Amino acid sequence: MNPVTANRRHFEDLSLGEKVALGSTTVSREMIIGWAREFDPLPFHLDEAVAKQSLLGGLAASGWQTGALTLRLLGDGFLNHIAAAGGLGFSDLKWKKPVMVGDTISATATITGLRRSKGHPDRGVLTLDLFVVNQKGQEVMTMTIANLIEARAPADEMAMPSQPYDLPRGETHRP
Amino acid sequence: MTRWFEDLQGGDLFDLGSHSFSAPEIVAFGRLYDPQYLHVDPEAARQGPFGGLIASGWHTASVGHRKMVDALDAEADRLRELGEQPGVSGPSPGINQAEFKAPVRPGDTIAYSLTVSGKRLSNSIPGWGLVFNELSGVNQHGEQVYRAEVVGFSKLRDYVAPWHVRLLEALVRLPFVGRLLRRQ
Repeated sequence: MNPVTANRRHFEDLSLGEKVALGSTTVSREMIIGWAREFDPLPFHLDEAVAKQSLLGGLAASGWQTGALTLRLLGDGFLNHIAAAGGLGFSDLKWKKPVMVGDTISATATITGLRRSKGHPDRGVLTLDLFVVNQKGQEVMTMTIANLIEARAPADEMAMPSQPYDLPRGETHRP
Repeated sequence: MTRWFEDLQGGDLFDLGSHSFSAPEIVAFGRLYDPQYLHVDPEAARQGPFGGLIASGWHTASVGHRKMVDALDAEADRLRELGEQPGVSGPSPGINQAEFKAPVRPGDTIAYSLTVSGKRLSNSIPGWGLVFNELSGVNQHGEQVYRAEVVGFSKLRDYVAPWHVRLLEALVRLPFVGRLLRRQ
């Protein structure tokens, strides 16, 4: 077993529908411009005057920054407490409203999928729906992410339990 | 910023250049945005599923975005030199799907590219179109590490607003009426 994650929750310890409040973060002008300089130097993320004339209507965070800040909340609030084993990707990412200077965003994660990895019997695939809202309660970003997670026992051991008694039918085939 | 919506065609391929990921850079990004041991702690990462430090997928994707913005800028400069007016790209409404297909390790060099996969007029914003792009990142061994289906707004060059939209735009610019209209 991986000593780094030994004391964390594993695949078997999670359940579908589990909802985690991930806390919030406030986005400053300096943060927006700092991120934009490094990863998204479009004029409407760097310059207030240009931003006012753009579709965003004012200086707004790069969508990638909103995602990165959400990921930070997810790491601190959830992924660092489970045996997370790497991100597989994400889908249906929607930037619904711009995140403007001074906005406070808060995130919630819900477990919407839990399945065994096909290639690695000692791992599972965890699907999380992420919802990010601003201080007015408006959704600013939603996405679904898929992450690998270590399992306590490989899939085939699960199907043939070592217990000396008969488990009720179905118990031996947990997700 | 780039080519006009009207000039973009499905299948257009843009080389976005490459980026080498160093260990300090991977850790710095991880500490700020994705502080999992796989991305911030080389010692602990050695015990993990990848046997060493790997970049946050969000880092790989964000660098890919930067490479795209730089390439759009370069394309705009090229068009200006030809005496043409470059197009205007807008924000992105989202990403349909993104996959981190293989880990990015310290010292890896990722070559990014963008292929236009389709376009259509925006239903919600007159005068703008949506461009569907396929972004790809391939490492120095020719292995694809990242792919994403990204959507972006692009301004129409040849768009003329209908008369009632132009009237509304003119009214919005008036001092008193405009303020009332904008409040709606």
